[in-house]
Amino acid sequence: MGVELESPKEFKAVMDQVFSLMSEDPDMGPKLRDANVPQRFDFDDVDMVVNVRAGTSDEDANLHWEWSDDVDWEPKVQMKMSAEVAVRYFQGKENVPVAIARRRIKTGGDVKAALALIPITKPVYAQFRALLEDRYPHLVA
Amino acid sequence: MPRGAPSPPPERVDTAEVARRAGVTPATLRRWVADGLVLGAPRKAGAPWPPIAIAHARIVARLRQRGHSLAEIRRATKEGRLAFGYVEELMPTVDATFTLRQASRKAGLEPALVERIFSMLGFAQPEHLGVEDVEMLEQMSEVLDAGFPLAAFLQLLRVYGQALAQIADAEVRLFHLYVHEPLMRDGTPGLQVAEQMGELTARLLPFSSPVMDHVHRRLLHHFIEQDIVGHMEADLGSAASAELGRMRTAIAFADLAGYTQLTEQQGDAEAASTVERFVADVTHTLPDEARIVKTIGDEVMLVSSDPAALADWAVGFQALASGPQRPRIGIHAGEVLYRDGDYYGREVNLASRVAARAAAGEVLVTREIVDLAESHQEFERIGEVKLKGFSEATELYLAIVPELG
Repeated sequence: MGVELESPKEFKAVMDQVFSLMSEDPDMGPKLRDANVPQRFDFDDVDMVVNVRAGTSDEDANLHWEWSDDVDWEPKVQMKMSAEVAVRYFQGKENVPVAIARRRIKTGGDVKAALALIPITKPVYAQFRALLEDRYPHLVA
Repeated sequence: MPRGAPSPPPERVDTAEVARRAGVTPATLRRWVADGLVLGAPRKAGAPWPPIAIAHARIVARLRQRGHSLAEIRRATKEGRLAFGYVEELMPTVDATFTLRQASRKAGLEPALVERIFSMLGFAQPEHLGVEDVEMLEQMSEVLDAGFPLAAFLQLLRVYGQALAQIADAEVRLFHLYVHEPLMRDGTPGLQVAEQMGELTARLLPFSSPVMDHVHRRLLHHFIEQDIVGHMEADLGSAASAELGRMRTAIAFADLAGYTQLTEQQGDAEAASTVERFVADVTHTLPDEARIVKTIGDEVMLVSSDPAALADWAVGFQALASGPQRPRIGIHAGEVLYRDGDYYGREVNLASRVAARAAAGEVLVTREIVDLAESHQEFERIGEVKLKGFSEATELYLAIVPELG
């Protein structure tokens, strides 16, 4: 089932909440911090880029992200997908290898590190879905 | 016992009773105690025996029956090597209350069927059965009366038996390797080893059954859902065309190229960790329609009701795989025999041979997969290839792995 985003602004708001869920989750957050894999997401259809990294030792948050390429760190993994695929992906509705084969997700960099992040981020699927059902039902995949 | 219920008072067992339980005379038992063979045994005449010493006496008796000398048993006792035996004592023993015929009558099953049930579960032929055995048989009888086909039921029992045997074996081996042996290596005295192991086991035992029950229910939920989806989206032709017990499915084998060399270069432990990561990567990335049937060393066998999705997963997985140990994957589809939780037949063997033919980083598929593929999938024809064990050549294709970036 397709999801219909109202605007790039809505997409950014939704993605900010996904990253917050992962960062603040007592299980996922520390694991993602320990994994320390900076990622760059390129949402080409809405012309938006977000760079995500682990929180540094002097930062409380487990994840830090900026909607820009003007960041002082280098991504280890790059992922390119449409905004719709991203919303589906964080609901667990896009299988990464299958999406790569179907050219719905393009990935580069240290892909082995990206593979290792998949099991860590799986708990966010249900949390994100619950959030969408509550506040953005039109985005539920 | 319900949580919070008071514990029954400790049983008071004397030397004569311990001797009876061990199947030896009281004089023999007293001699073993005097020789220091039975750890924890009371030195004072008439004093009650603690459970750990009762268990140890039975272990010594069993070892004597098997021909071990007193000197060997004394050495093993001192080194703590017999400590695992105490753990066994925490398990409930089967009270042989019923003969096979009595149990069969009570459960409403033929004695021959009861024998077959025990055989399928992996047990020796039962001569005497306990109350819990009979309760189990009564429940089985109800399932059969409700209309579950006997042929399927017996297969299910074999799967239960094999899976639970593997679990029990793993529990014992892991406990041995990670608890018992380190205690022995540290030079912990035999009695202390036994006590520590007994305490840990007593904590673990109540934990394992509820975990298995919970995991089983969660997995059951998942597979029921997949079965429903499979009925709705059967890509592999009509299920009705297959004979009873046979089904059409896509089968894949994936393994790590160069695994033997890796073991030689980096040792067993490092190689095992690599395989563990590989199997975890496969497990965490499989599409919903696919599942792991089994792992054999570094090889993983997969099945899927959706061949196109399995082929997509394979090429996507190859794109994500990097490093020196690239997987090799072979996929085929056809009619297979489903028995005892596993898949058998010519098509399974063919899929395995196709995988063996692949090089590191490759996904090789048969004509059947190409015919069932979707428009976005690309294949390069390799040609007719004679695969080991097959008289006719097989048409093989290389699935194109998308470039990253």
